[in-house]
Amino acid sequence: MERGLYIAASGMLAEQVRQNQISHDLANASTAGYKADRSSQRAFGDLLLSNTATGAVVGPLGAGAQIAETVTDLSAQPLRVTDEPLDFAIEGDGFFAVRTDAGVRYTRNGAFTTGPGGILVDQLGNPVLTQNGQTIRVGSDGAVDPGRLGVFALNNAEKTGDSLFTGNPAGQADGRVTSGALEGSGVDPAKAMVEMIASLRSFEAGQKAIQTIDETLRKATTQVGTVTGF
Amino acid sequence: MWTRLDRKERGPGFLHGQRTGWTAGSGGRASNRNPMLEGMYSAAAGMAAQQQRLDALSNDVANAGTIGYQRQRIAFRDLVYTPSGPGGQAGVMEGSGAAAVTIGRGGSGGSYKPTGSALDVAIEGDAYLQVRRPDGTNALTRNGALTLDVQRRLLADGLPLQPPVRIPEGVDENDISIAADGRVSAGDRQLGTITLFSVRAADRLLPVGGNLYVPTDASGPATRAGADAALRQGVVETSDVDLGDVMADMIVTQRAYQLASRAISTQDEMARVANEVKK
Repeated sequence: MERGLYIAASGMLAEQVRQNQISHDLANASTAGYKADRSSQRAFGDLLLSNTATGAVVGPLGAGAQIAETVTDLSAQPLRVTDEPLDFAIEGDGFFAVRTDAGVRYTRNGAFTTGPGGILVDQLGNPVLTQNGQTIRVGSDGAVDPGRLGVFALNNAEKTGDSLFTGNPAGQADGRVTSGALEGSGVDPAKAMVEMIASLRSFEAGQKAIQTIDETLRKATTQVGTVTGF
Repeated sequence: MWTRLDRKERGPGFLHGQRTGWTAGSGGRASNRNPMLEGMYSAAAGMAAQQQRLDALSNDVANAGTIGYQRQRIAFRDLVYTPSGPGGQAGVMEGSGAAAVTIGRGGSGGSYKPTGSALDVAIEGDAYLQVRRPDGTNALTRNGALTLDVQRRLLADGLPLQPPVRIPEGVDENDISIAADGRVSAGDRQLGTITLFSVRAADRLLPVGGNLYVPTDASGPATRAGADAALRQGVVETSDVDLGDVMADMIVTQRAYQLASRAISTQDEMARVANEVKK
């Protein structure tokens, strides 16, 4: 019977993870080029119960749930026009490349600016690269020809924070770079709110299950064996 | 502007109301992390980022009529991802919110407004007037509404131009003509030259208030502007703030702020539910 406590608790822990991920998504509702996450829950392996006296099979018993994996939805989002000459967006697939201290990283967040030495850098000062891996000089008019920015196809893209992705570059992607626009965030606020409420209610259901089991256990320990009338 | 703080510094920073510069470093989370509070901090970071944008937009609105003002650019980014708590399998990651950073000034420029005043000049091209501040250091400005002080020096933003230009006694303000290359004359009498300056990365200049900017290491030092920079007498450059755009941005920002605050209250609700597991 006490196994049920742990099953319910594991469900609550999984909802907590989901809730943290939704909070993160909502915090990035206006982060340009942000890609939202989708989580999937999976049950632990089922246990097959059998009657200890007779050996007869009783049936399977779940052992709780966990967030099994997080998948990043990399689909392109609508562009938002900003008219800033150093805002860039990729129409279609592909990533910009920037050179960081840890190596080349990829991003869809094209809010770039002029860095030391007059080169195009991202918001953390990492130089933006051309298709050949060279830095890009900002023109004297404060603009850059969008065609000079490299657009890379990326396999196994994985978010690392700071709007950057790691992955294996696979040549040029077919996306086209536009200046004066940013890619919108991949977060759908309405959907995130609905998921947040659903997750909260699942969490509450887990709590109720624990309380009910607790109550059953209380009865087992205090009432069974009580001989009333004496 | 480029400061990167480790995420571990965020807790106390948050309590003391510091808003800017909350960014994640590579250090990851503190080891005594509380999975229940992580989401709250993520959402709080998102709110702080939106607040920073709101501050910048408010500043833009306040300067919608300031001559030569260029709007602030704010960029958002997501923060570091770390493995989730016990509720997720190995490889499941949780992000830790968002951060905002100022990435310089708007680059589209304002429009020119004729004033008819002989001492109003607009700067064409990416150049600045240099002024001497009371503490002896120089600053740059694009405010070309020039005035004269009691010593009859030309002032921009209330501060003397550097190098200085003096208008002799007896010369009427309205007789002054300022050429495109900055030469100041009255009739056929040469009175001096207004020198224009430029920096390598103009959007990395540090705003110090009062329409003034000082060069930083990132912007490079102020040097004499090239031939493509010119002065136009009798007009001023208006602010590049479009109030309609700013208002729309403010509404979007406020809604995003509300979304993040909803996430905090939901996390709070979950903490309450967890606390009531044992009645």
